[in-house]
This record gives sequence, structure tokens and C-alpha cells, in this order.
Amino acid sequence: MGIISLDKSNRLIWLGRYTERTFTICRTLSRYYDDMLDRDEFAYRGFLDCLGLPYVYGSREAFIKTYIFDPSDPNSLASQLSRALDNAIVMREELTSDTLCYIQMAQDALRAGTQSSAPMLILQEVVDDLFAFWGSADDNVASEECRTLMKCGKYVERLDLYVRLGYSFREVEKETSKLMNRLSKVRFAHNERDAERLAALTRDEATYSRNKQAILSLLCTVLS
Amino acid sequence: MRNLTDHADSINRLLSRYGVKFGIYKNQTFHEQLFPFDALPRIITGEEFSHLERGLRQRVDALNLFLADIYHEKKIVKDGVLPEAFLLESKGYLPECEGITPPAGIYSHISGIDLVQAQDKSWYILEDNLRIPSGASYPLIARELCRRASPQTFRQNDIVDNRHYADMLRDMMDYVSAPGMRVILTPGRYNAAYFEHSYLAERTDSALASNADLYVEDNKVYYRDYLGQAQRVGVIYRRLSDEYLDPLTFLPESLIGVPGLMNAYRAGNVAIVNAPGNGVADDKGIYYFVPKMIRYYLGEEPILKNAPTYLPFYKEDYAFVMDHLDRLVVKDVSEAGGYGVVFGRDLTREKLEGLRETIKREPRRFIAQEVIDFIDLPVMEDGRQVMRKADLRAFVLSGRETRVWPSGLTRFSRQADSFVVNSSQGGGFKDTWVLSR
Repeated sequence: MGIISLDKSNRLIWLGRYTERTFTICRTLSRYYDDMLDRDEFAYRGFLDCLGLPYVYGSREAFIKTYIFDPSDPNSLASQLSRALDNAIVMREELTSDTLCYIQMAQDALRAGTQSSAPMLILQEVVDDLFAFWGSADDNVASEECRTLMKCGKYVERLDLYVRLGYSFREVEKETSKLMNRLSKVRFAHNERDAERLAALTRDEATYSRNKQAILSLLCTVLS
Repeated sequence: MRNLTDHADSINRLLSRYGVKFGIYKNQTFHEQLFPFDALPRIITGEEFSHLERGLRQRVDALNLFLADIYHEKKIVKDGVLPEAFLLESKGYLPECEGITPPAGIYSHISGIDLVQAQDKSWYILEDNLRIPSGASYPLIARELCRRASPQTFRQNDIVDNRHYADMLRDMMDYVSAPGMRVILTPGRYNAAYFEHSYLAERTDSALASNADLYVEDNKVYYRDYLGQAQRVGVIYRRLSDEYLDPLTFLPESLIGVPGLMNAYRAGNVAIVNAPGNGVADDKGIYYFVPKMIRYYLGEEPILKNAPTYLPFYKEDYAFVMDHLDRLVVKDVSEAGGYGVVFGRDLTREKLEGLRETIKREPRRFIAQEVIDFIDLPVMEDGRQVMRKADLRAFVLSGRETRVWPSGLTRFSRQADSFVVNSSQGGGFKDTWVLSR
């Protein structure tokens, strides 16, 4: 349809954010999961620390069962994916059914995998579906504005997680550049001053390392 | 057909993939679930469909003429065909709609007519749904997915394609539209039929809007985009009930309506699909009079029959209902969705007496019908074929002309011996094939 209301523009940004949150967490968890197998069964605590989440999971098994699969835990991966789907469902006419279905499939895969003895295989399916979602969005979503809004949300979320989860400066720099590129295309009044500051604070590794908290704050306001 | 049932699992996976769901409220909590689909279709021959098509067009044309008459001259009342009490006491009659002529003069743009087929194969109309009939999207997407899962089935059978429903809908919306864009107005994500709202918005290339996206200025409706720019709206396919549509005209506490919408509609600046006030024509009490309407407005004999119906409002009918209550099905005219339907044969003596007293007190509130032993259709259940009661909701679209969609929503009961097929009460659905010969 191409005419996007204020409510829908918010939905698109949050769809991008929750989809990306699910995606990056899936990929990051595999690293911690591997450590938990035979090196450090409490390695997941490092992951929780990075995201500022409480130690409410008493064991490695409880962490996997609850944090990954339990939709009643508001911090869980399942909850993030549900929120992505909630935002996507109300955008069907923009996204098209053929694009929306990949988020539905990701949720179906996660739900079906609750009892799996190999949870990383389930997360691989989720990652594949989310890759397909973005590919389909590029191909099927006619409105460039719609795609841009989703991608602004996606890159803001990715940067936020990369900073929190300790991804390398090179990766942060790359994602900042993608965000700036997207912001240059949007017609809505994003916070240009914050965008400029964000670019300045990620211009070199030393500046970046000293200003992580400031960067996280700017990511909260740059789209407002 | 074997081929199709062999692919039932694939079809159900596809339905899940596309989120073909409906919502129900249980204990005040919203639950969304897949609408159970049975791959075995209902099959209607070309000849049978031609008969149904003629009868449905005739019925909907008469109902549209009735609505125009009721909100203007009321000749049918003046001529004594419809008692005035039935009009004034009908909850669906809205005095606020008096004198309004909708764009193109059409009131019921989308009519969902519920039919059943008796054991002798004759069709009976059970109900006319002229307010917000839902359900077309389910067989629409099911057909698409069945064709993908079992292409051989569609090569080997001469089935009329039903995938143009969205085109029919869009043509109708454009025909009645004032200048401006198409909008489907939804009460929101937690409506039982939200899948349908969003799917039809996608397929008709309409904007799916909630009330927050719309506003009225100078009696014109606008859609506000996120940059604050306004687009004029020409037609609204609303999926919320009359009473919530405009808080300035109807329920002031409505939080999902568009203030001022009725003024824009009254001024002819926007078309509302279906027109507000249609409830007067699909009132279960008014149903009794539809064959009379056909004779009155069209001068024709009804092609399709009503189920034999009695109105306790009339003395003779009242006496009959009281004498035969244990074999009749009694319906509360103000209820819908399978609620307020009581089979006399299922009641204890005490409850039967209770019902008798209620009818005595409020005769206008009920209709009583003979129980039609409608046919069972085969349904696959746990890998075996069982027989279940099924009805058919036919969709009739009125725009430049009155057209019957060559398909429909076949709903079936998932419990043996139950006549209740409504999705809100656990029923499933089938595709409806119309054969080209």
C-alpha cells in the first residue's frame, strides 16, 4: 500500500529491532553454549552480565530451557521472537504474507524445539528463517520507506547488542556505517545531532572504547 | 480426492506457516489458534451452483431494497407486510441512519448467507449476515495452498477458480468509493478475525487502519501518515460493529471508533462497507419475513427456502411453539456466533419449562425453527473418515452488479451428533469447490 501511519512506522522499527535481537542472540548464544558443554557450565552468566539480565536461572539446563524456549519469561529469546511476530502480524499488507511467514516459521521452529536435545540446531533453523525474512523483505516489500524503517530498527538494535556483547570495534564500525547510510535515506525527522555524535564516537577504537555508555544512550534516542 | 488427503499434513503445515488463525476469548483471555482445516472439500456441481446463485442474488437484492425502504419510506410497514413492532424493537434498527442513502445506494455490499443442505439435497437458508460477515479469507487461502500441495487434484478435476475474491472485493469497493483511498478498518490485533482483516488488506491493496490512523475534518475522512501528511479516504471496509463506529453518534465510550465518521458518511464523502444499520435486515426475527420481501419488492417467488420458522409474536405460531417446544430449535434473535441457540430435545423438563416461561414473557425475543436434519459431510479425523454436520456460508458481493463468489466457507462440527459448526465453538472448515459442470 505504501502509505505508512505513525503507529505503523513504530511497528516497523520495532519489528526490525526484535527480529535483529532474536537473530544476534541466536548467533551469540552458540558461542556461550559451546563453552557450557565441557568448559564452564556457568558460562551463561557472562552472557547475562553483558545484557544486564538477572541470575534467575539456577543451572545450565534451566538457562537453556527457560531463557531460550520459555515464552512466559519476558527476557527469553522466545519472548523476543513473539514480539517480532506481534509487530509483523499487524504489518501483513506491507510485508506481504510471503515475507511475514518466515517469522511465523521461526516461531514454529522454536516452539517445536522445546524438548530438543540439540538446541543449537533449533537456533540454526531460527537464524535461517530470519535470513530468509530479510531476503524476502528486500524482494517483496514494495515500499522503500517501509524497508528503510525496518532496517533502521535492525541496525540500531545490532549496534546496541554488539556494544553490550563485546563485539570487535571493526564490527561496530561496519554496522555504524550501515546505520548512517540508512538514516541518510529516511524522510522522518530522526535525531540528526545524535546521529552525528554516534558517528564521531565510533570513528576510532580508542574513542569507541572510552564511550560505550554514551553510544548506548545515543542509540536510544537517534530514531526519536 | 485421495491425493488431496494424502497431502493433508503438508496443507496444514502451509496453513500454519501463513498464520491462518482465529482468536477466541476464554476466561477473558485472548487465545489465538489455527483454524482446523479438513482437506476433503464440499463439492457443488455447476448446475446446483447456478440454482444457488440465482436464489442468493434474488435474496440479497431484496434485502438491499428492504434496507433502502426501511431507512426511507417504510412502505413495507405501511403496506402491512412487516409489523411495525418488528422494526421498532429490532436492535439492529438504527434511527441515526434514517434518511441516509449510501454511495451507489448499496447497503449490504458483502452478504454472508448461511445455508444447509437437507437429506433430500434441497438447500435451506438458515441466516443472513449483512453486518460484518467474516470467513471468506479462509477458503481463499486454503485453495491457494491446496493447489500448491496437491497440484494433481486440480489438474484432474474441473474446479472453478475462486482466487478472484479479492478482485471482486476491490472492484466493489472502488465502485462505491468516494474520491480517495481504500481502507480496511480493524478494531485491532486481538479481534477474532484479525488474520482475515490483514490478509484482505494485503490482497486488495488497501491500507489496514485502526481508528488512530483516521480522522475527520470538514466531513471528510483522512488517513494520517507518519510524516503527518493526510490522504483522503474514499471507502472504509469496516470490521467493527455499528455501535463502536463513531463515538459522536453511537456509543460515546467507544475507544475504537472514528469521531465524526457518520457525518462524513451522511454527507456522501465516504462509503462504509457494509452500511451502518444493516442489522435490522439480518435480525433473526426479520429472517422470517425475507420470502415475503422477495415477493413484495421483486414480485418473484423465492428461489431458496427458509428453514420452517415460527414467530411466537404471532398468536398461531405462539400456540404451535408452545405445543412443540421439545422438537424445535429456539434462537434468541439478539445473539450470534452459535450462542443463544437451544435445541428443545436436549433440555430437561425443568429447563424446557423455564424456556417456555421466557418465551411467554418476551415472545419477540425468540424464533423457533424445525430442526433440519442437514447432511453430514466426510471429514478426516485421526487418519480415518468420519461424518460430521456442516453448513455453508456463501458470499454475495453487491457493487455494479450482484455477484456470488463461486466458493464459500464450509464449516463443520468436530463433535459427532453436534449441529453447532461455529469456529468460536470449536468447528473446523473446508474448502468449497464449485465444479464447472
